[in-house]
Amino acid sequence: MSRPLLPTATARETWAVTRAEFARLPGLSTAAAVLLVGASATGLVAPWVLGRLVDDVIAGAGTEQLLYRVAVIAAAAVVGGLLTAAGAAVFARLGETVLARLRERVVDRALHLPSATLERVGTGDLVARTGDDVAVVATAITGGGPLFVGALLSIVLTAAGLFALDWRLGLAGLAAAPGYALALRWYLPLSVPFYVKERVASSERAQAMAGALQGAATVRAYRREREQTDLIEQRSQVTRDLALDVFTIYTRFSSRINRAELIGLSAVLIAGFLLVREDMATVGAATAAALYFHRLFNPIGLLLMEADTVLQAGASLARLVGVSSLPLPPEAAPHQPGQKRLEVTVAEHRYEGGPVVLADVTLTLEPGERVALVGASGAGKTTLAAIAAGIIPPSDGAVRLGGVPLTDLGESATRRRIALVSQEVHVFAGPLADDLRLARPDASDDELTAALERTGSGAWLRALPDGLATHVGEGGHQLTAGQAQQLALARLILAGPDVAVLDEATAEAGSSGARDLERAAVAATEGRTTLIVAHRLTQAAAADRILVMDEGRVVEEGSHEQLLAGGGRYAQLWKAWQTN
Amino acid sequence: MKRSLLLRAIKRHRGRLAGGVALLCLHQATEALVPVVIGLVIDRAVATSDTGALVVTLAGLAVLFTVLAMAWRFGSRLSYGAAEREAHLLRVEIAERALDPRGRRTGLRDGELLSVAAGDTEHAVDAIRAVGLSAAACTALLVSAVALVVVDPPLGIGVLVVVPLALLALQWLAPLLTRRSDAQQAALAETTATAVDLVTGLRVLRGIGAQHHAAERYAAASKHTLVQTLRTANTKGLHLGLTTAVNGLLLAAITGVAGWLALRGDITIGELVAVVGLAQFIAEPVQTLGWCVQLFATARASAGRVSKVLDAPPAITPGEGRVPAPASDRLLLQNISYGGLERFGLRVKAGEVLGVLAYDPRDAESLLALLAGNVARDDYQGTVRIDGVPAETLDIAEARSVVLVEHHHVTLFEGSLRENLGDRPDEELLAAVHAAAAEDVLTAGLDHELVERGANLSGGQRQRVALARAFAADPPVLVLHDPTTAVDAVTEALIADRLAEARGRSPRGTIVITSSPALLRAAHRVTVLDGGTVVAEGTHDELVAAQPRYREMVLR
Repeated sequence: MSRPLLPTATARETWAVTRAEFARLPGLSTAAAVLLVGASATGLVAPWVLGRLVDDVIAGAGTEQLLYRVAVIAAAAVVGGLLTAAGAAVFARLGETVLARLRERVVDRALHLPSATLERVGTGDLVARTGDDVAVVATAITGGGPLFVGALLSIVLTAAGLFALDWRLGLAGLAAAPGYALALRWYLPLSVPFYVKERVASSERAQAMAGALQGAATVRAYRREREQTDLIEQRSQVTRDLALDVFTIYTRFSSRINRAELIGLSAVLIAGFLLVREDMATVGAATAAALYFHRLFNPIGLLLMEADTVLQAGASLARLVGVSSLPLPPEAAPHQPGQKRLEVTVAEHRYEGGPVVLADVTLTLEPGERVALVGASGAGKTTLAAIAAGIIPPSDGAVRLGGVPLTDLGESATRRRIALVSQEVHVFAGPLADDLRLARPDASDDELTAALERTGSGAWLRALPDGLATHVGEGGHQLTAGQAQQLALARLILAGPDVAVLDEATAEAGSSGARDLERAAVAATEGRTTLIVAHRLTQAAAADRILVMDEGRVVEEGSHEQLLAGGGRYAQLWKAWQTN
Repeated sequence: MKRSLLLRAIKRHRGRLAGGVALLCLHQATEALVPVVIGLVIDRAVATSDTGALVVTLAGLAVLFTVLAMAWRFGSRLSYGAAEREAHLLRVEIAERALDPRGRRTGLRDGELLSVAAGDTEHAVDAIRAVGLSAAACTALLVSAVALVVVDPPLGIGVLVVVPLALLALQWLAPLLTRRSDAQQAALAETTATAVDLVTGLRVLRGIGAQHHAAERYAAASKHTLVQTLRTANTKGLHLGLTTAVNGLLLAAITGVAGWLALRGDITIGELVAVVGLAQFIAEPVQTLGWCVQLFATARASAGRVSKVLDAPPAITPGEGRVPAPASDRLLLQNISYGGLERFGLRVKAGEVLGVLAYDPRDAESLLALLAGNVARDDYQGTVRIDGVPAETLDIAEARSVVLVEHHHVTLFEGSLRENLGDRPDEELLAAVHAAAAEDVLTAGLDHELVERGANLSGGQRQRVALARAFAADPPVLVLHDPTTAVDAVTEALIADRLAEARGRSPRGTIVITSSPALLRAAHRVTVLDGGTVVAEGTHDELVAAQPRYREMVLR
């Protein structure tokens, strides 16, 4: 099953964005260009001097010029070294700054993805882009970038050097160009799809491996070891065969490159031969030309070695630019909803052409009122909660806060005013205080502690080795599911929204833990307009009003007492619950 | 690469490797001869304007290039092929170890095992690549040496001594460079980890409108990394600049000496060109050798981790016994001491659904490990009998065919619902889905496709599909652990009702480890565990009436 993916930029867009980024740093860009060109140019001195030396030998000159010639090579070496060092440093400054800006913008856009889009694409692809793709591009810029640019410049300048020696020798050198061009034209269309396939295959292999390892207990219990290893073997084999195929294509490509080298080198030597015979050039010039051409082998080889890195980085960059070019959710006109009444009207809601999940639901929460949703799994409680929180726009309907439709209020204003604590629990890696400060960056340590105390987390907070500074989340101190939920409620307190929508899973904590969580939820939402999905009926009993849902409709509505007195479905549920 | 692993790999791919190494050596030898042949063309043809010599020398150049191209094409293919094949074999072996029915004492967590399987296998086989590369580099050095010494022995020997020495001297910056780039890599990895962490928790951030704060936090981390990176870039630039300068100065010196010899008529122009060309060329094989040393070092570390997995001993040593005939006590644990359990006993009779409530979750974990057959006989005291036969005497697959443990942490697999539920007739599967109250998952019938880990289902749906899978397997003894924690109260009550019906048929036995009152009430009998031992037993209603602590733990 494939989810619709995030946009990927075209080559043209990617190029335009990259160029614009470099243009934002005109000083650095110019300096890098000048230094790198200068560094490459010094590399041309030695073969040229050697050519002169050959002429000296042929002319039967003495050794008096030798010292001068050697000094020129040495001077070029020292200047070249200086320029190379400065050029590499400046180029890195340029590339890394652009990279840092790009990754910051990608993460910014990813984090601000409109809710509806996020619900559609899920977090998997976003994680891949902000993680893998950023890493691939960073490696290419940091590791391969300077070498790649250096090689490219060497090639261009060496070609220019050939022309400077003698334009006819330059033309002879160009005889290799069609060979290189044809080789590339043969190789790229053939290999690019393979790289894409290889990437997909290796992520499928990793998935199979991860799935089997993380589920090892289940695999053993159901004695499906053979089946799972077979799956891994098969996927691994696919990646192996793809890698071998890509490499075979690569080696054939490199034979074509060797052929182009031979053609170019022979052409230069033949041209040199003819020019020397006709007395139009010296043996030294022919020698320098041949050595120039020989010098090209390495940078061209390097470009080829790095070709896959560059191609992969290009693909990743296109995916990054795709995200970075997403429009920020429009900041709507600054509506100031006067009061905190929340009105939800859903004529109908369905997920992308799926069956109807909500029908004819109208719900109004008065300021400060606490309303509970009750119903079986699949009754539409979570969907209604997400709609009320403005996370999912209803396919037909509207949500108003203080009379202002959420669509007019805008995404970020909505998020500041209506908070949703969902079943998804995440503890952010790093100090506990940093996690809490995501909700309110300027909160003092005392405020953080107070928020945790209010959610009943005081005891475990004091038991943490470094208190608020304790590293939690991935790679740190592991909080239990219940503690993570208390933490989520503490964040809610710190964020301080007008409206709170709670859809937590309380049952993981066991019965006694669930009671603590219920108390924490009540404390966290005190004074706020609150919509709560009641996974336990005691949560409903504590609410001002209860909506009982079944198959996407509200079937009963009223206070706990009214519903009990009515003797309907809720009364039955309550009875069953009580006797447990 | 760890030596034994490397030797085994070489043996496994000896044909390919031998061919690959021979051809790669040939390739490097021909590469070394290119400047020599260029010198020859200049000397014999260009300088003399001898057309016949031009044709002959260019033909020689063409032959040289053909050999060079073919040698690399097939040599690298063979050597790369050996490495990729070995990486594949290693991955499969790791998967087999990781999924060994007996378990393996690797001492690694899942995440680490994954990175061994994915990253370390790739790095370990770099050793195979390095074998070919270093042999080829040595050949190139040898050929260059011979060529240089033939031209002029003192000059040749001088070049051969000075060039590697100069390159070695350039290595003094290497430790600093490694340190800086390690720090930079670490900073980069951390920034990436921050991004991944924030985006993974995006829904949570969005819930409280904290995306903006999160973006600011990431930007700060990214800028910190940038500073680290730039510091590394300066060192790298310095290294690169020094290399350029030193190579250039070497070239100047060699050109000076060779030029002097040529001007005096001691060597020809062709030899002058060849010497200078070779002097530039031998930097390559020397650098390759340095690189191979690094390659071997990382490969060795990776191979160490791979070996650790491959050589890990089995966690248990099961017997070979076959499934016994059903006994009246399907499962009998006596006097068990293991983990937190102390002199603990448990009996599941045929036809019985036994509820187990552990006040301390660790006791439940210990019990589950024992029942799943994951504990070595020496690690626990007491006896576990399956149908009257000591569990350790049974073949592990046989034992698991009798006792099935469906863990709390649900794992579903990529594939259709039918594939997940098991190889049974559709009507049995549908009955199991009904018993687990999981009909809502059947939107596309049993063909409904699940993605990896069933991520396209809700938490409650995943739990109920796992429960349906357990029911469908219909094992003689089924062990369930907190099977309904993500399920709402109404559906949970439904499941509790259907549990006895699904499992009640004699001679089936069932254990439900849970704190759910609905499930405990559905059990025929409840055993309460505290401090590793049984503290109370009875029906749910009896325990609720008599035990305040029990009431506290299970009631809403």
